[in-house]
Amino acid sequence: MRSRWALLPVALAVLAAAPARAEQGVTDAEVVLGCSNSFSGPLAFSGEQATKFGVDLYVRAVNDAGGVLGRKVRTVYYDDGYKPQEAVANTKKLVEQDGVFAIIAPQGTPPVLATLEYLEANKVPLLFPFQGSPITRARRYVFGGMTLYDRQSRMMIEYLVGQRKYRKLAALYQDDEYGKSFRAAFEKDLGRHGLKLVAAESVKRGVTDVSAPIAKLHAARPEVLFLVLTPGPGAQALRERQKIGWTEAVMVSSGPLTDERYLALAADAAEGVEGLSLWPDPLASDLPGVRLYRERMKRYFPGNEPNRYSLSGYFAAMLFAEGAKRAGRSLTREGLVVALEGIRDFESGILPPVTIGRDHETQKQGFWVRVEKRRFTPLTDWLKSE
Amino acid sequence: MTTAALVHVVVSGLATGSIYALMAISLVIIFNATRTLNFAQGEMLMVSTFVGFTVYARAKVPLVVVMLVAVVAAALLGWVIERVLIRHAIASTPFDVLIITLGLSLVLRSAAGLTWTHDEFPFPSFFGDRPITLGPVRLVPVSLGIIGASLGLMWGLWALFTHTRLGRAMRAVAQNQRAARLMGISVERVYSASWVLASVVGALAGVLIAPVIFLSSKMGLVAINGFIAAVLGGFGSMPGAVVGGMLLGVIENLAPLYLPSSIKHSVPFLVLIAILLIRPGGVLGRPARRKV
Repeated sequence: MRSRWALLPVALAVLAAAPARAEQGVTDAEVVLGCSNSFSGPLAFSGEQATKFGVDLYVRAVNDAGGVLGRKVRTVYYDDGYKPQEAVANTKKLVEQDGVFAIIAPQGTPPVLATLEYLEANKVPLLFPFQGSPITRARRYVFGGMTLYDRQSRMMIEYLVGQRKYRKLAALYQDDEYGKSFRAAFEKDLGRHGLKLVAAESVKRGVTDVSAPIAKLHAARPEVLFLVLTPGPGAQALRERQKIGWTEAVMVSSGPLTDERYLALAADAAEGVEGLSLWPDPLASDLPGVRLYRERMKRYFPGNEPNRYSLSGYFAAMLFAEGAKRAGRSLTREGLVVALEGIRDFESGILPPVTIGRDHETQKQGFWVRVEKRRFTPLTDWLKSE
Repeated sequence: MTTAALVHVVVSGLATGSIYALMAISLVIIFNATRTLNFAQGEMLMVSTFVGFTVYARAKVPLVVVMLVAVVAAALLGWVIERVLIRHAIASTPFDVLIITLGLSLVLRSAAGLTWTHDEFPFPSFFGDRPITLGPVRLVPVSLGIIGASLGLMWGLWALFTHTRLGRAMRAVAQNQRAARLMGISVERVYSASWVLASVVGALAGVLIAPVIFLSSKMGLVAINGFIAAVLGGFGSMPGAVVGGMLLGVIENLAPLYLPSSIKHSVPFLVLIAILLIRPGGVLGRPARRKV
């Protein structure tokens, strides 16, 4: 027994010496990335699209072209089913067992926030999570992956109240962190104009019947109704509004909701709906980066339709590759953080030029769209939020 | 709140309640025959509806055919599950079977995700979404259609249970398995028939509700409310299941109208607890008495 304890100082010495070796997750031949995401549960579709068809799409294209500075990128994913406790366990496994270099493109406010402290404490970069809670802002090892909810709210209110002169606004939001962050931001931004939400109703994720909250909101007679929901309940709300013949109010969907799935589900009930779009139209946009994304999707995953989720994952991998290139051949976590912070006017061909500053936000914009003949038609150019 | 709005919300609640009632009935059918809860009921509904949808997406067949395909798929699924899994556990306790069905629900949901992805799909409906105005009230065909079809189905089940040999055999097994066997009823056949019947009722509920909550691998969660409805009405009682389902649907819709949003989501559960405190056997259930 004593001889075993005698080995302890040796073991500690080895552990202490470890950071001096090459960075975890990086070898001469490859760099390992990973994330915990939803491959089951309510966000399974977007989770699978963002990672296996988004991040991996860009990774395959880059690897086929020789990798990032000669290193092939490898990805590891685990399913958390949108459960924060599973996300923490998976993330620890990724860091401690799989030895990933960085976490890329995890999804969902509750699971992502649950892993925040652990990753910061262990100085593991958390790159471009698909969620927009402002809590992730300006943390040393975290880089945002979506225009943050408070910015989205600010842009929406400035546009609707400032430009379009609406005065009576209401909200239907999901009863969780996503919905509540938006609601708080709406109240704050309306307050700037001396206004308040005339009504606000919440629904639970996976709700079967939205007739009661819609009836209550209808009774408040708002000019604008914000929908801060996921595609299923979002489409249900639009259908419900059609059922009661409510046509006067403009329905406005939040950034995460403004996507093709929700349009397809709502069908003709979505006509005339407006929203803040965070991504260019993945199916129709003529931007060079989006065209290339579509060509690559056709080549590598011919059965998979382009959509905003895979586009966001693809963009995340692209931004990582740009940062890793700038960090140089001796890639370290600290080096990557500094390199990403140094990005100025990076042309992705998908979003407007990306500049990342000390706040670590990679996106600060969105544009206004309206559904016309079952497609999002842009009403504005990029709205910026500085 | 105007009367028209109130009527709409209540009717909509009755429509959702009908689906809860059908789920509750499916659970009760299996419970009465086998004394076990089928946690896979919702997933069986989901899989059968997906099978119907696949035929629809491929061949654009009329909705009636879609429904028939879903029903046949459900019957087959129920039969296979009973023969391959449940029958082998015939000698084990209801708790073992409950765990088997729990596992089955996970397997079915994952398998559906692999086969049809976890995406949500719009599902065609027999009934329209556009309101019809009748005097001061507006009624939506889809809600009325769901209520009507569910009531029709319930009537069919009632007829089956009271007027056919199979139905009587099922009731006999529910009352006393050993006596039923002594009377020459094949309990195994009743087991099989119960699973098939419950699965078919589920498929019909699935085809009715899928246009409203959309078709997806997670739509089986609607069965949870079926459990609550069944308990609310008195577990084991068919009329209780119907009353429980309708009650739950309406309460779920009325609570948010009149209560602050902070507690509205817990109202159905509060009602459940209250009813169980006052009537432990449920609204129409008989309290279990143990003779000493």
